[in-house]
Amino acid sequence: MPLHTLNATPNQSAFAQCLRMLGPQDALLLLGDGVYGAIKDTEAAKALQNSGAELYILEPDARASGLEKRLAECFKPLDYDGFVELSERFPSQQAWY
Amino acid sequence: MNYALLVLASPASGLSNLSALRFAEAALARGHKIHRVFFLDQGTSSGLATSVYPQGEADPVALWAELGERHNLDLVLCISSALKRGLLDASEAARYERQAQTLHPAFSLGGLGLLVEATAEVDRLLTFGGPS
Amino acid sequence: MTQTKKVLLLTRHAPYGGSLARAAVDAALAAAAFEQAPSLLFMGDAVLQLVSDQDASAVGTRSHGRVLESLPLYDIDQVFVDQTALLEYGLTSHDLAIDVILLDDPAMRQMLADHDHILSF
Repeated sequence: MPLHTLNATPNQSAFAQCLRMLGPQDALLLLGDGVYGAIKDTEAAKALQNSGAELYILEPDARASGLEKRLAECFKPLDYDGFVELSERFPSQQAWY
Repeated sequence: MNYALLVLASPASGLSNLSALRFAEAALARGHKIHRVFFLDQGTSSGLATSVYPQGEADPVALWAELGERHNLDLVLCISSALKRGLLDASEAARYERQAQTLHPAFSLGGLGLLVEATAEVDRLLTFGGPS
Repeated sequence: MTQTKKVLLLTRHAPYGGSLARAAVDAALAAAAFEQAPSLLFMGDAVLQLVSDQDASAVGTRSHGRVLESLPLYDIDQVFVDQTALLEYGLTSHDLAIDVILLDDPAMRQMLADHDHILSF
């Protein structure tokens, strides 16, 4: 089961493709422009949550967005140590960008 | 665990190139080995010694070089991607009769076979791409 | 090199707008040359890479379709394609330069899960 990393806003094709491939056994880490998919009460955040995947967000990138306080709580903030730990647990990674 | 990183993201655009660097630092700090960092496509500009980044912003070339030297990392730029972007070591500069050697000495040029070898070798392979 | 890992190469970009499509195919050919042939999956806009009758002679680059036609020579016989994306562009497998296997979303998810490494282009 892969770890998906998503570096694209909800308006980019990579976002929709990631969503199509995301399953309940997978994990998703939002980074770069991907963090905009976690804004509370948006269709994008709801769709990601409905995938059933474990949801994470890269904390430095979330902070850069200025929207940290508006992010849905289901996205757990991770630092790089947490990112590496996630990669230990999931045997492969698919990068969407 | 043994890791390899494939860096497709440009150091001059977006967050992804530096993200790969931070990931590499954190992986080493957690006791992992990094078999190779393979830079391909726009990622190859990571080894451009003549690039100048604005004061107050991170300089990815210097940061990769420093990390590479500190941990003796194999930092390889795909040779065909690199040549197109003007990244030449001494022997390529001589071969193509170009005046400057522009590759930072912490990096080397190599074929895609080195990416292939890394995928066969490592436990974990992570791609850092975008923006596209 | 012994084949120890199952590698999936997932390409998602159109052929001429950037250099990633070409980088993906070059990586696939290099892997095959070292007898590490990956599974190849064309998703989203990458289905446009496969269109037959491409003629890039007037745009100063090599025809991407021609490059892909060399895949079988490297023993990459199984090329997988995102069925939904093909349909969205009004194309069928008859419009493509090489033989492909069409996959729906559950089959593609299974592919992602079945490989040790994914190279994401």
